[in-house]
Amino acid sequence: MQTSNKYTADIFEHLSKGKFICSNSVEMNNSKLYNVVDEDFDRLYNYFLAIGFVLERGDEYFYFSRPETKATLESKIEQAYKWVDVVDFFMSFDNGFAPGFRFTSSDVQQQVKVDANLKDKLEIMKRMTGEGSYAERINSLIKSQLVTPGYAELENELSNQYKVMSSFNYIKQLIVSIQIQEEVANEIPE
Amino acid sequence: MSYLNSLKELINTLNWSKELLVEIFEKRKQFAYKYDHAIELLPEDKIEILISKHILSRNGSYLEIEDQFQQFFEQILEVNEEINTSYINENIQQVKQLINYYLQENNEHRKYTYLKQIKASLRKIRRITLRNVIDLNRNIENAFKTEPNYGIKIAKLESFDDKRRTVYQLIEQTDKLVTEDEITFFTTALDEELKQVVIILRAQLTESRHNLIETQKQIIEYLNQVKYQSSVQEKIKQIKYLKDQFELKAKTNLSSILKEKNDVMFETRPVYPLKMSLDYLQTDDGRQQIEKVYSKLKKGKKNVMQIAESIASDDLLPQTETEIFIDLEELKRGFNASSRHLFNFVMEYKYPREVNYEEKITIFCQMVSIFENELEIKDNYQQDEQIEYAIVTTKN
Repeated sequence: MQTSNKYTADIFEHLSKGKFICSNSVEMNNSKLYNVVDEDFDRLYNYFLAIGFVLERGDEYFYFSRPETKATLESKIEQAYKWVDVVDFFMSFDNGFAPGFRFTSSDVQQQVKVDANLKDKLEIMKRMTGEGSYAERINSLIKSQLVTPGYAELENELSNQYKVMSSFNYIKQLIVSIQIQEEVANEIPE
Repeated sequence: MSYLNSLKELINTLNWSKELLVEIFEKRKQFAYKYDHAIELLPEDKIEILISKHILSRNGSYLEIEDQFQQFFEQILEVNEEINTSYINENIQQVKQLINYYLQENNEHRKYTYLKQIKASLRKIRRITLRNVIDLNRNIENAFKTEPNYGIKIAKLESFDDKRRTVYQLIEQTDKLVTEDEITFFTTALDEELKQVVIILRAQLTESRHNLIETQKQIIEYLNQVKYQSSVQEKIKQIKYLKDQFELKAKTNLSSILKEKNDVMFETRPVYPLKMSLDYLQTDDGRQQIEKVYSKLKKGKKNVMQIAESIASDDLLPQTETEIFIDLEELKRGFNASSRHLFNFVMEYKYPREVNYEEKITIFCQMVSIFENELEIKDNYQQDEQIEYAIVTTKN
């Protein structure tokens, strides 16, 4: 089996931290990695499987999983709860919050100021954002929940513009795939 | 009734007013054109003429092109966005009627006139059909891409789908008209041009049909996308609601979904503490690295903690401090022996140290309060320079 590929280390470095490789990444290096993985998927899949990682292909993104579970269910649920809050917040900020969407933290701030509902959601998320002014809290929310895990990237440093990565579909998909018991679904108010 | 006497007059009128008309026409979607602006372009009396000929109409302080003319311009320039299916239908009916007349008419000359009209109508049908298909496509795309409200977006797309169905039916009807319904006419009317027109028409109809099939696909895809999007939103809202009610884990299959997910992102960030390669440390590079680390370690060396000096033995010896204490008991005894009243006694007493006036007053008060039972406090008062005091004597 031929295993030499000069990008393999980069790919491993990136994915083993639990991050994504997205096709629409702003960083040139990252989007190049996407093409490399895309073209060489089968070989890389076998390669990483041998060292205990499963290379997974999502809709325009790649990530790692494990053949057997390593994290506890508790911590997974905790993580999923955070995602529900984050996705709900940003989807309420803009209906079109999806891969490719561009926004600045001041856009969010403005919307928070005029939308009491959104403000309320931000208040609830204090555990993630910490204390501070709305601007600080929104910034920290974007950084810690979107940028660090790789669901968005800073596209323009001058205007502080972020771009949503295709990996955002991962959490969205996860939430959509949750099935609600039928009788419960009917009880939920519109 | 027309307000214009001849076509020539119309063309002439349009000619001299073209600048204003072009301007108003171009701005028709942006804003209402002001009468005051129009005066800048054309003298007022000329504008009045245009209004009287019903080319322009005045609406308060605004000017508009008469609807009839506006539609005419839009149709000729093929810029209208309305999809008007009734127009095609009308033309089909007209063709049918004309064919009827043609077949009944015996006069060659009049037959020829009908034939000419039929050809014109067929051409018109061809053009309008194509136009409609193009407009439909553009409108659908516009609605999908620019309409922000999901509800309206779906309604718009659905109404365009209806329009598409109507256009498709009309194409079928037209096709049937030239191939089946009026087969007698199209086989008997021996006119080269008519044949040509029909061939082009049918080719165009086929093209339009193909276009519409594509359009249908597009609409279905758009509708699905929109519905999927709004269903995603709905779902997220529901999940969030359950989460806020602390019921998410109990009432959904979240746990089982997550049980199956072994994605690395759920794990804590791994660290790989690797040992140095011994072979590498033997090399020159390795030595350099070691020196680098060593210099870093040296810099980080902490200063030895300063030790305090030992305590001198003198400091450990007990020291005494003397304070002269005024014995009130002694004072009382002296007072008992004297025959003076208390205030006077306190003031005149020879104290072991120097005592100022305030302290003397304090001593007086202390004496009175401590030996209250042995002293007699009288009701008469005396005064010195500063205070008034009661006369206190010993009890007999």
